[in-house]
Amino acid sequence: MRIKEHPILGATEKGATVTFEFDGKPIQGFEGEPIAVALRAAGVMVHRHTMKEDRPRGIFCAIGRCTDCVMIVDGKPNIRTCVTPLKAGMKVETQYGVTAKKEA
Amino acid sequence: MERYELIVVGAGPAGLSAAIEAAKAGMKTVVFDENAKPGGQLFKQIHKFFGSKEHKAKIRGYNIGETLLREAETCGVEVVLNATVAGVYEGRELTVMQGDSIKHFKGDSIVVATGASENMVTFPGWTLPGVIGAGAAQTMMNLHGIKPGSRVLMLGTGNVGLVVSYQLLQAGCEVVALVDASKKIGGYGVHAAKVARTGVPFYLSHTIVAVHGEDCVKGVTIGEVDAAWQVIPGSEKTFDVDTVCLAVGLSPMAQLVKSAGCEMNGIVPAVDAYGATSVPGIYAAGDVSGIEEASSAMIEGRIAGAAAAYQAGYLEKSDFESIVTAHEASLGSLREGMFGPKQRGRVQTVTEEGIVLSQSLLTKGYLDESDLAHFPSIQHGKTGVYPVIECTQNIPCNPCQDACVKGCILIGNDITSLPVINAEATCTGCGMCVASCSGQAIFLVEEKPLESTAYVSFPYEFLPLPEKGDRGIALDRSGAPICDAEITAVRTGKAMDQTHVVTMKVPLDYASTARFFRRR
Repeated sequence: MRIKEHPILGATEKGATVTFEFDGKPIQGFEGEPIAVALRAAGVMVHRHTMKEDRPRGIFCAIGRCTDCVMIVDGKPNIRTCVTPLKAGMKVETQYGVTAKKEA
Repeated sequence: MERYELIVVGAGPAGLSAAIEAAKAGMKTVVFDENAKPGGQLFKQIHKFFGSKEHKAKIRGYNIGETLLREAETCGVEVVLNATVAGVYEGRELTVMQGDSIKHFKGDSIVVATGASENMVTFPGWTLPGVIGAGAAQTMMNLHGIKPGSRVLMLGTGNVGLVVSYQLLQAGCEVVALVDASKKIGGYGVHAAKVARTGVPFYLSHTIVAVHGEDCVKGVTIGEVDAAWQVIPGSEKTFDVDTVCLAVGLSPMAQLVKSAGCEMNGIVPAVDAYGATSVPGIYAAGDVSGIEEASSAMIEGRIAGAAAAYQAGYLEKSDFESIVTAHEASLGSLREGMFGPKQRGRVQTVTEEGIVLSQSLLTKGYLDESDLAHFPSIQHGKTGVYPVIECTQNIPCNPCQDACVKGCILIGNDITSLPVINAEATCTGCGMCVASCSGQAIFLVEEKPLESTAYVSFPYEFLPLPEKGDRGIALDRSGAPICDAEITAVRTGKAMDQTHVVTMKVPLDYASTARFFRRR
């Protein structure tokens, strides 16, 4: 999904390649890019499930306004992944309601 | 509590312009922005802007953003990022959230330039991952270098829907359709035409019936709507897509001006000619005071910044008046034409010149052959190389006039006038008009009856760039394949700014229909 070369913008400038964790699995992304971008590049579409109806949600506005893309990052829920820069070793988890684990 | 002479909320085109103008006059100015980077939406806008030279026409949005940032720095404007203005209170006090703390500031004047947010529409499946705002697509592609999806359906044919569709194509995505419930394409015809000629179909009077998929988007069904906006049974069409993009308008982000107690005029603050709201010392500029283009937002910002400086005694009355007069004239010219605010909601059938508008352009996104003869700048059958200008609506834009050193193209002082070909001047075929047309509506044609061939030059902003000798198929304005074509020249230059001028050889009969090229 990454654009290797753009006809107007040329090559995209990116930070160093870093490894982070998504639901326990190691994934690579570029340091400093939004977490959501690294997840999109890795094919992850679902960021969370809603509390009442367990519906999937993902990126919607990509500018930190709609809060649809929130996830649990390093143990903290409701982190807007579209505006939170990726760092090496981050622990990113799918959010169910406002917790990490699907309630029974 | 820290005090500034001017506090600007929002580091987009309007906010930065206001800050620059005020700081230039000597005001101690700060700009707060909630984002990690300044520039608002300018850095996502990779197309060439419309207008005239004073509006930075034919310069791409992100380059305009760079210039603004440099100017702000030179003038000593302080820009504070990751700083969300949470409230504006009595006495022009602000609370600003930075990280986990809230700080208090006081502004002798405040310019609110918070911009706009995207509107949404709902339909079954609209919350599925893969349904995104057009702005999200722009952010992902143009800031972060990632495709939002592989196959995309766009809802909305205003300028945002048209421009983002084109950008999706540039990023390498497939756009399966442009859909709008309206009967007519809302944005500029030239923006529609550059998408249509690549083969993207337009479905007007259509809406989304449902988006399909369990965990994310797998498809979308659209249907035709009747006069009561109800879907006509049996008219449904389904597309396999992984992304549905919504471009259904923008709404001013007026929460701050509202909370400051500014008198509202519907959804926008009531402002005077200088952007002053009903609360003394608080100004509003840019999309927050009415949705327009970045070009007009920058001018509104300049006027508001100058007004704040004049109010604070930093500008003499005569200096203030001359600044405002110049900017108002410039703003006025941008607001002219058939897409200007005065024309909103009106049905137009003819141009300012009295030429009947192309209904095909308004409903399918491209000019029909029967339209061509009505527009004198769409020439045919001439000797030598000649420009064909497929600019058929009154939009505020004139770079083509300056691009031609031979003076072939005339627009005149009224920048919304349709271009006219100067019969006295001779085209040299340099291609600068082709590259400088922000609407990508200019072509060069050279007919060679003795060889039974024609050479058609057209603007090209995709990868891979065709190379001389490439063989493929010429497409007509609708994107339909019409004949074999061979690339005979590809011109690239700094002044062309990434709009390459590609020339293809086609059979003579296709001189006035071949408008795009696809490799075999």
